Amino acid sequence: MAKPKAFVKKEKCLACGGCISVCPQDAILMISSKAVVDHDQCNSCSICVKTCPIGAISWEGK
Amino acid sequence: MKYDAVIVGSGPAGSVTARFAAEAGAKVLIVERRAEVGVPVLCGEGISQKVDDFKVLEGKRWIATKMEGARIFSPNGTKITLSAEYAGSETGYVIYRDIFDQELARGAAQKGAEIMLNTRAVNLLKKDGKITGLTVQHFDETLDIEADVVVGADGVESRVGKWAGIQTTLKPYDLETCVQYTLTNIDWDSPYCDFFLGKHVAPGGYVWVFPKGKDVANVGIGILASLSVSGKAKQLLDKFIAARPELKKGAPLRVITGADPVAEPIQSVTDNLLLVGDAARQVDPITGGGLMSSIEAGQYAGQTIGRAVEKQRFDSQTLLEYETLWKKAFGKKLHRNYVAKEIMLDMEDKTLDNLADSLKDYKFEEFSTLSIIKALVTKHPSLLVKLTPLMKLARA
Repeated sequence: MAKPKAFVKKEKCLACGGCISVCPQDAILMISSKAVVDHDQCNSCSICVKTCPIGAISWEGK
Repeated sequence: MKYDAVIVGSGPAGSVTARFAAEAGAKVLIVERRAEVGVPVLCGEGISQKVDDFKVLEGKRWIATKMEGARIFSPNGTKITLSAEYAGSETGYVIYRDIFDQELARGAAQKGAEIMLNTRAVNLLKKDGKITGLTVQHFDETLDIEADVVVGADGVESRVGKWAGIQTTLKPYDLETCVQYTLTNIDWDSPYCDFFLGKHVAPGGYVWVFPKGKDVANVGIGILASLSVSGKAKQLLDKFIAARPELKKGAPLRVITGADPVAEPIQSVTDNLLLVGDAARQVDPITGGGLMSSIEAGQYAGQTIGRAVEKQRFDSQTLLEYETLWKKAFGKKLHRNYVAKEIMLDMEDKTLDNLADSLKDYKFEEFSTLSIIKALVTKHPSLLVKLTPLMKLARA
C-alpha cells in the first residue's frame, strides 16, 4: 500500500510558511493564505507534520 | 510592463530595497501576494533602537513601547538583566508590525516605487536561460512583468531563490517554529522584554514576553523544528501561560504562527537576481531577530540596484556588490551567533543555570547578544575555545 501523503487542514492553517521552508520536495505551496500539499510531489517524509507549530498538518485520510 | 526591478514581497526587506532603488532612480515594482501590506503579522515585534539610524520611518505610530531592557531567565529561574541604565539609552522598541510595514511601504511609494497587491509570483521569466522578469497571478489574471533585476524578498519560504537555482530549503535544525498570542487584561507591568530558556520550556528556542502597553503583551514561543512534533509549540506555550496566574487570566487579541530561519547565510546573488531578508537568511540565529538586518540589507540592495541601472549591467559580478556590503556589515555576526547557537543547543539545563548564575549581577554595557557572549567568555574563557572545535568536528 502506498504511504499516506501529508495533508493541511485549511481550518487550522495560519499561513506562517514554516512547512514550505523545510519541505525537501518543494511540495507545498501557499495558495490564498493556506498551505496546500501537492499530493504527487509529497514523499511522506513527515518533516512538515512535525514542524507545524499548531498541528495543522496530518495525513490524508486520517 | 517593463521595470528595472521587480521585488517579490512587501515586508521590510522588500520595501526598503524598493525605497533605495527608487531613490537612486530605478523604476521599481513591489508585488505582494496578500491583500494588505503587513497583515497578517508574523513576528514577535521586537526591534533594536538602531532602526532610528536608518531614517526610513516617519513619526512614532509604529512604536508600541520603548523597552527598558531585557531579562533572560535560565531553566531554574535565575535572571540575567540587560538594563538601559548600563547600556546607555539604546535598547529597543516593541512595535506594531503591521503599521511598521505599512510605513516602510509608504516610504518606498513616496520615492516612486509602485505596489501591486493580491499578486502571487508564479515563476521567473527567462529567455535563453537568462532571467528577464517574473510571471505573476494578479487576482485571476496571469501577467508577465519584464524586469532587469528580480528581488526575492519573499520571506522564510522563499521560492524566488529556488527558481534561480539557489538552494534555500531549510533543515529542521535551522528553523524555529513559532506561535504567539497578543494577550490583554494581564498583570505584566514590566518595561522589560523577557526571555525564558529551558528544554522543558522551549527546546532549542525560548518563550518571550514583550510588553506592548499597560496590560498588553506578545507572549510567544519558538522551538527548533528538529525538536518539534506536530503542534508541540502551541502545547508548550499554552502550558507556560497556564502556569502563570498573571498571564493565565489574559484574553487573546491575536494568535499567529511564525517560522524563523536560524541558519547560516546563503548565496544572495545570481545574474539578474537578489535575495534579501529572511529569504537570504539574514536573521540572527541566537535571537531569531531579522528586522534590523533586513532593513540594512535592503538599503545595500536598493543602492546596488541603483548603480546597476546606471551602468545597465545586471550580471552577478555587478550585483555582488550587495552581498559584499551586507556580509561586511553583519555576515560575521550571523556566523558567530550560528556557532553560538550550536553551542547552546548542546548545553544541558544545568549548564545554562550555572552560566546564568555567573552573570546574574553582571552590568552589561551594551544591549546585544555579543555583550552576553563577551561576558560569558570573560567569566568562562574555556567555554568557546573548548566547544567551537568540537562543534566543527561534529559537523564534518
